Amino acid sequence: MKINFILHNPEFGPGSLRYIFSVLHLSACLLLLVSLSACSSQKDRVFSKTRVLMDTAITITVVAASQEGAEKAIDSAFREIEKIGKLSDFYSSGSEISLINKKAGISGVKVSPDVLQLVEKAVYVSEKTGGAYDMTIGSVSGLYDFHKKVLPGKDAVRKGLRLVNYRDISIDRSVSSVFLKKEGMLIDPGGITKGYAADKALECLKKEGIASGIISVAGDIRAFGSKPDGRPWNIGIRNPRAESREDDVMATIELMDAAISTSGDYERFFFSDNVRYHHILDPRTGRPASRCISVSIIADEAAYTDAFSTGIFIMGPEQGMKVLEEMKFNGVIVDNRGRIHMTPGIGGRIEFKNSP
Amino acid sequence: MQLQDKYRIAILSAYALGLHGFESLLPSPIPWLRLGLANIITITTLFLYGTGAAVTVTLIRVVLGSLFAGTFPGPAFILSLGGGLASALVMGSIFSVAPRLFSAIGLSIIGALFHNLVQLVIAYFLFIQKIEAVLLITPLMVLLGTLTGTANGAVSGLLIKNLKISGQKVQNVD
Amino acid sequence: MNLRILLNTTTPADKVLFSLLIIVSLSGYLFADKLLPENPSVRIEVNGKPVYILRVTENRTVPVKGPHGYTYVEIKDQRVRISGSPCANKLCVQQGWISSGALVCLPNRVVVTIGKQTEENMPVDAITG
Repeated sequence: MKINFILHNPEFGPGSLRYIFSVLHLSACLLLLVSLSACSSQKDRVFSKTRVLMDTAITITVVAASQEGAEKAIDSAFREIEKIGKLSDFYSSGSEISLINKKAGISGVKVSPDVLQLVEKAVYVSEKTGGAYDMTIGSVSGLYDFHKKVLPGKDAVRKGLRLVNYRDISIDRSVSSVFLKKEGMLIDPGGITKGYAADKALECLKKEGIASGIISVAGDIRAFGSKPDGRPWNIGIRNPRAESREDDVMATIELMDAAISTSGDYERFFFSDNVRYHHILDPRTGRPASRCISVSIIADEAAYTDAFSTGIFIMGPEQGMKVLEEMKFNGVIVDNRGRIHMTPGIGGRIEFKNSP
Repeated sequence: MQLQDKYRIAILSAYALGLHGFESLLPSPIPWLRLGLANIITITTLFLYGTGAAVTVTLIRVVLGSLFAGTFPGPAFILSLGGGLASALVMGSIFSVAPRLFSAIGLSIIGALFHNLVQLVIAYFLFIQKIEAVLLITPLMVLLGTLTGTANGAVSGLLIKNLKISGQKVQNVD
Repeated sequence: MNLRILLNTTTPADKVLFSLLIIVSLSGYLFADKLLPENPSVRIEVNGKPVYILRVTENRTVPVKGPHGYTYVEIKDQRVRISGSPCANKLCVQQGWISSGALVCLPNRVVVTIGKQTEENMPVDAITG
């Protein structure tokens, strides 16, 4: 019996040219395979942290190579959100927003660049929505209490409505001041701060070298970059009429470098005589807007999606779709009969799970 | 004689494939836990026909086995190829340098060890990327590999002995 | 009979190798278990500061002190829920049991997160609305 016969086999042994060729060929194929898989799987991982700030739950998710790097970036973003929350707190007497409100009809108030930008963006959205979104609604919204189920009387609402007009906000950029022209006027930045905070948090994360992630400030979401596997982020749109945890999500939508916000009548509400009273008030009537039950808007900045989703919710589906078209935004509107209106731009990116 | 050697390679590869397939039919408590029965044939080939033949049989077994299982260029194939080649090459080189240092059992244990280690390294770089998980599983793999390697080596030892005797008988008749 | 012959053919190197690998792997196995308690953990934070990091495998209920009083966090069968809360709307209690993700009690500033920090198979990455 010949041991090592194959070594001496000229036709097919490790010494033969054909053998060497086939081994080389195989190695080349293998190398290609290995390098392909190595490229697609980076060492990046997803880190996520939730905190309660601005009276709401905020979750920041980032893709990073190390936990230390991720936590450093997330913490700096949280500090930024905390700062904006303090500046713009409607209820705290020391905030810049409260100062503006206190000096209404008296004098302008010098404010920080953040509050100036916030008010400017709010006024811009008011102009584009024909006053449907209006941050001066504070004089009416302060009359409602959604925890204690307090409904204001008609007279009080009528009185409050007289002070609602975004045109009475006067901004002086040169000295960075905001002046409310009528005494008693109240600006409530609740419909734009969360989105604005998400935008600023994103700047923080980018400064810390983060290339992708999600900032979710109570449903105002700013996503950037992609998941570690290169796929876009998957954002769920809450089902406005969910009955259990199973049908919690109405649809999922893929998002890469964009913001999304949803305004719904299900967030803060109570029933009185079988009527749903929710927190999105129509500046023209002072009553909860009733044309829609949920409006989701996709745009570049979360400050805009936040405020436009409120404005379009109030305007209703027909006018709302026109605004979306004009602004070149995308959106999904569920009207008060449960019908879904959608801009053509999100056709392929949305997947419906549960009908409202 | 050369043609006959080719037949032998083919028959040994078929045995290896058969064992490989048989093994995948056995129920296993953990999906990736394998007895490594095909290694019996690799070692037998190594002892009877040398390193080149052992590597060839392993290559044929891995490629055809994954083609049959439908995992051909996928992750399972890469793992199988890496493990199989590494163990055959290491066993082969030790056997050619010092043929009397280890018996079939020792070589089989070494083969199982390198098979497992190379698969763990490949798995780490390509799929898992969690060093904790790999470290956690390594001692278990080494332990089980040593035990199955011993058993496989024992079977190979018996096989080699019998084949050598029958081979001589056949030659005598010739 | 055959087996005995086989045992006789084993070399000293065989025996050394065998014993060495068994010893190394057994001790490595014991060590690895101590080195890596990598179970998903339950993390409880109040006002952004961690107050508890608990094992998900240990069934228990812990009181967590927030600005409004005690929120009770219950861990059972690798899941977690908020079983009691001093808040008015009890939304946190209504969230029920979860095995990954976060539970939040806004009024009492309590955030409970469960699971590894990398969640690869989540159906959605965030929810709007």
